[in-house]
Amino acid sequence: MSATSLIARKEAGELLLSLRGLAWLMAVAVALSIFGLLLVSNTELSLLDNAQVVYDMVGIVTALGGLLALVVGLDAVAGERERGSLVPLLLTPASRDAILAGKLGGVAIAWGVMYALSLPYLWAVGSTGQNLWQGMLVLALLGSPVVLGFGFFGMALGARLASARTGLLTGLIALVLSVSPLLLGPSLRQSTIGGAFDAVNPFSAAVNAYDAVIIDSQTILAQWPHIAVAIIWLILALWLARSGFYRVVR
Amino acid sequence: MKLAALLLAIGFALSASAASAASLAVDLKPAGSNPPSPQMGDTLSFHTVIRNDATTPVDGLIAWISLVQIDKGKEQPVDLEDWSAHKAVTAPSLDPGNTLETDWPMRLIQSGKYRVVVSAVSRNGTELTASPFADFTVRQKPVVESQRVLPVVIGLPLLIGGGMLWRRTGRRSGT
Amino acid sequence: MLIEIDKLRTSLGGTAVLRNVRLSLGEGEIYGLLGPNGAGKSTTIAVALGLLRPDAGRVRVLGKDPRLVAHESYGNLGVLPEQNGFYDWMSAHEYLHFFAALHGRRPGQNEMRRRLADVGIEPRPRQTIGTYSRGMRQRLGLARALLADPKLLILDEPTNGLDPRGRREIHDILLGLASRGVGILLCTHLLDDVDRLCRCIGIIVEGRTVAEGAIVDLIGNEDRLVRFRLRLANDPPPEGGNQHVSVVAHEGEWWVVDLDPAVAPEMAWRELLFCGWPIAEIRREGGGLEDLYLTLTERRAA
Repeated sequence: MSATSLIARKEAGELLLSLRGLAWLMAVAVALSIFGLLLVSNTELSLLDNAQVVYDMVGIVTALGGLLALVVGLDAVAGERERGSLVPLLLTPASRDAILAGKLGGVAIAWGVMYALSLPYLWAVGSTGQNLWQGMLVLALLGSPVVLGFGFFGMALGARLASARTGLLTGLIALVLSVSPLLLGPSLRQSTIGGAFDAVNPFSAAVNAYDAVIIDSQTILAQWPHIAVAIIWLILALWLARSGFYRVVR
Repeated sequence: MKLAALLLAIGFALSASAASAASLAVDLKPAGSNPPSPQMGDTLSFHTVIRNDATTPVDGLIAWISLVQIDKGKEQPVDLEDWSAHKAVTAPSLDPGNTLETDWPMRLIQSGKYRVVVSAVSRNGTELTASPFADFTVRQKPVVESQRVLPVVIGLPLLIGGGMLWRRTGRRSGT
Repeated sequence: MLIEIDKLRTSLGGTAVLRNVRLSLGEGEIYGLLGPNGAGKSTTIAVALGLLRPDAGRVRVLGKDPRLVAHESYGNLGVLPEQNGFYDWMSAHEYLHFFAALHGRRPGQNEMRRRLADVGIEPRPRQTIGTYSRGMRQRLGLARALLADPKLLILDEPTNGLDPRGRREIHDILLGLASRGVGILLCTHLLDDVDRLCRCIGIIVEGRTVAEGAIVDLIGNEDRLVRFRLRLANDPPPEGGNQHVSVVAHEGEWWVVDLDPAVAPEMAWRELLFCGWPIAEIRREGGGLEDLYLTLTERRAA
């Protein structure tokens, strides 16, 4: 097995076999469950409201996925450095690129687990509504680059900043900024500054695509401008992670 | 003489307005293929025939569909945004005796009792012509099934919690 | 030579950390790297491992510049860093298998069991590293460092957290490795460890090597009196025989004496015995490695 695969498998183990990783997954599952339970209490949903529910659930999966990926990415570098387990890894014959690729793979596995975890929730709340399968597909196609981008961004922060705590605070601020146009409402997004931010914000790109596909029943192919924004974000985050990781000393 | 002229003018005016009001006739019928007991998610269709009963052409014809909810206590107009993409039809001119037929498809988004009506006006007309009402009831369809939601929202966290317990027990038994 | 460092200078964040460090380690040697906290020991090791760039000087590890070939040379190198973290959810076997695989090796279960037993670990089935004591973690770190059967070992505080028996066991392991030709660079504050294990040392103070070479030579070069405690069978010592010895104090049954450093101790004891001193026990006080270390580090601090 290559060094990259070994390290990716180890990172997956950190998530699925360590108490810390399982606690993160538990937090995500509880958040999704609370949201799902709120829906059960509403017995008079319309078809449109049900599409809205699927859209909301897909959006929250993306936001939680971004948060989980950010934490996993930060922990993969800064957390390991603070626990003293990074230096022994750097002092093996595995190249920096192989170690980095392994850790990036770990972030991807974390998102894969999160995506798999979200599917039963989406099926439960959206199975009798509209565009459920399209919603699952657009979550995979657009949610993945956005979420993975936050994971790689977390690794970049972990490599560059002195402590994991500082990295987590910085990453959370960036995540909240990314989600903020949706929290502040559509009218603010229509201003010049809001529109400009919306155009480059990867989270906005994902959510706008979800809206178009799930609620307005547009095709996924028609979302190519949003997909492009997400891919650019992913490439930028990957570059930041790589350049930062090469600076890691001890 | 003056009285006669005045009476004649009034008579012409009345006959002119009567003629305008009577120039358009709008008929509305549900399509024969509509389900007898529709529920949320079904699609209904309504067919209208707009006829020019006047002796002169009607120019700038506009006809549009309106939907209102008539459940007691919930009477309100309904925004057709998500119910139908086909909200109006126009014609530059309708000759006397000619008709304009239109179909109005509609997806049933929410349950309740509804009334649909098609209205028409022309550029030179002075009054609105409305079709007869077409009432229909949309049955409720469950869109969130508790039997699906509860096992998932409770089961998945329990499953992960079980995994945590298993790992913790495995660690303890190793000491 | 396994490690050659000469005139090493390095700065971190614009601040000079290493100003002039030298070090040389050959096969089968155990070299002690000493110095106060913050002197630059760990930085020197980081440069030797290729983790930091030097500003000037010559650094060769296993004959190569570590900056250029770092990750390849790690196959012949075993490292136990000071901050020694693990993956607490793994068992010791899983952990060693992981690192062995990174070294391109696939040892069997028996070999793993032997390697763990060599460092004094006998884990229970399914026991995870998270339940290990500090001493067990240190032993596991050493087992990891030895996985690749390295030619060169770099150990930073290897006996940290070990009880006296554990320290002695580690000492025996290191002495055994050195006898088989493995070179060991030992960075530690425990002078007892250095005394027992090392023939050569280097002392770094404020980024400079202030002493480097064989311990015996370094101690001998220091111009100061050597002090001993003598327990005499009868009190007091007779007159005479003390031309090379001056009595400093009398504490109960012990007589504290300073010996002329120009005289070999055995000569002085022969003279005293010849003059009738009833010497029952001799203990050296100071004048050893600790004295040397304190003298050099105080001198530099002053």
